Amino acid sequence: MPPPLSRGVLACAAALLGSCLMPAAALSQSQPAPSKAMPSKVLYNLATQCSLAGGPPQACTVEAIDEGGTTIYRHRIGAQTIAVRITDSPVTMAMQSGTSTTWVPLRSAGALFSTNSICFNGRELCVVNPNYLNSVREDRQDLRLQGRDLVKVHFGPDGRVNASCYDAGCEADLR
Amino acid sequence: MSAPPISATSWRRRTSLVLALMITLPSIASPLAALAVSLDASPYPLIARGGGGGGRGGGGFSGGGRGGGSFGGGRSGFQNTGGAGGLNRGANRPSGGWSQSVRGNAPSPSLSRPASRPSGGFSGADRTPGSLGAGNRTPGSLGGGNRTPADFGNRTPGDLGNRTPGDFGNRTPGSLGGIDRTPGSLSGIDRTPGNVDRSNLGNRTGLTSGDRALGGDGSFNRNANLNRDNLNGSFNRDGQRVFNGSVGNNWSRNWNVNTVNLSPGWARPGWGYARPWGTGWYGGWATPSWGWWGANAALWGISTLASAAVINAAVDSAVSSNTTYIVVPQTTYQLLYGTVQPSGSQGVTFLVQADGNTYNLTADCNAGTIDGAMPNDAAQAELLNAACQVAYGSAS
Repeated sequence: MPPPLSRGVLACAAALLGSCLMPAAALSQSQPAPSKAMPSKVLYNLATQCSLAGGPPQACTVEAIDEGGTTIYRHRIGAQTIAVRITDSPVTMAMQSGTSTTWVPLRSAGALFSTNSICFNGRELCVVNPNYLNSVREDRQDLRLQGRDLVKVHFGPDGRVNASCYDAGCEADLR
Repeated sequence: MSAPPISATSWRRRTSLVLALMITLPSIASPLAALAVSLDASPYPLIARGGGGGGRGGGGFSGGGRGGGSFGGGRSGFQNTGGAGGLNRGANRPSGGWSQSVRGNAPSPSLSRPASRPSGGFSGADRTPGSLGAGNRTPGSLGGGNRTPADFGNRTPGDLGNRTPGDFGNRTPGSLGGIDRTPGSLSGIDRTPGNVDRSNLGNRTGLTSGDRALGGDGSFNRNANLNRDNLNGSFNRDGQRVFNGSVGNNWSRNWNVNTVNLSPGWARPGWGYARPWGTGWYGGWATPSWGWWGANAALWGISTLASAAVINAAVDSAVSSNTTYIVVPQTTYQLLYGTVQPSGSQGVTFLVQADGNTYNLTADCNAGTIDGAMPNDAAQAELLNAACQVAYGSAS
């Protein structure tokens, strides 16, 4: 049973923002909305492999769309469509499933370069996307990613990264 | 995808517990399914576990982690140096462009790392000449002084008599080292110390034919200064013949590597599937077969070139150690693997270092040519094969 609604839910007011029933924490996150003024540009279409909820890999396609400051990754897995929106400065990630118009902030994301994989919200959606990782790798030619294979990030209630780890560091107990 | 209708407090609690589990569970080594359960199962049982982190805004991690000053609230070093662990929105076009499909038997989407991956990655394949530690040598192997005539394979006394002036055609002036190599002279004997100890020759009575009297300090360089049939190579400690990387007459030299991106986005862990061009059709030096192979391989005294697995492992090792080159197996060439780029559907361009210079080369992996011509020697054949494997070979 889900917990009952509480004051944290700004039901009717939030509906105006397309975020009805979202937690207040999620509402308060500061992800910029995709700019309407910027023309969308399809960066690429990739035929690849995805998995849902830790399930078996299955064929999928990824359409990457640059919307100026925001990149949308639209994953089509069979009849299902899951979009992930990533912004820079600060880095935030949100997910939109099916026909929903709601962008739900992600809790976590991880990338394993050696398998060209990136996963969102644990294993809720994993995808083999070398293009994304190639771009990240080439954009980050400082020491941050040098020699790194696994990168994980965690997003706080405000939608921003509040923890990140690398390789064996992701096994550390920092409590 | 809608968020569950939970309270802000519960949301934060859930977030904190998910994070706590992410940190505490053996997520790396866990099977994918186990991790999926850990991170993605219903949050309510987790909440039911009670107060670990509950009530702390942003989760237990933010409370505990800030103690070290490393995490939290955008004030950490991570955030100030780019945040998101180096992740970004991935919109900048990387070198080589965007791939349209992930080819072959691509790995499954997974964050599970190999359980036994050693620190620093896998190694052992990128063996440079002389790089093998003493630990790899066993008594009776090719340790110093133990070489017997049998160690030198196909060489027979007769091999020493086959040299003709034409055999010296590949030597550049720089390789002559001031020694008079006119036919009839000592012809290529490098008397610099530190090459092959003369004691190695003690058992090789068959080699003391009259035209090769040894003198000076007795050192003897068999390292391809002489392009003698079957003899143009030295031997590393595991008994493999090593060919010097000869330089073609028309190779474009002195390329400024500082102007070249040696680490494109694809040159990283997972590079085999990250290459943003069509790969997998190059099946090794014998597939497609090269017309010149048979006769010339026999001439050079070789029967095979480095396998795809060896070359892939060399790149893997170089990637793991942040090295920009691989030593082309059984040669002294240093291939700057990050510079490998397709040229057309079967060509490749790349930079290679030899003799202290950097050369920009092209090769046709289907025809088996390097800079438009068949390789001059076994070393160039190895180089051609390595570049083609990096460009078009199957991923490991």
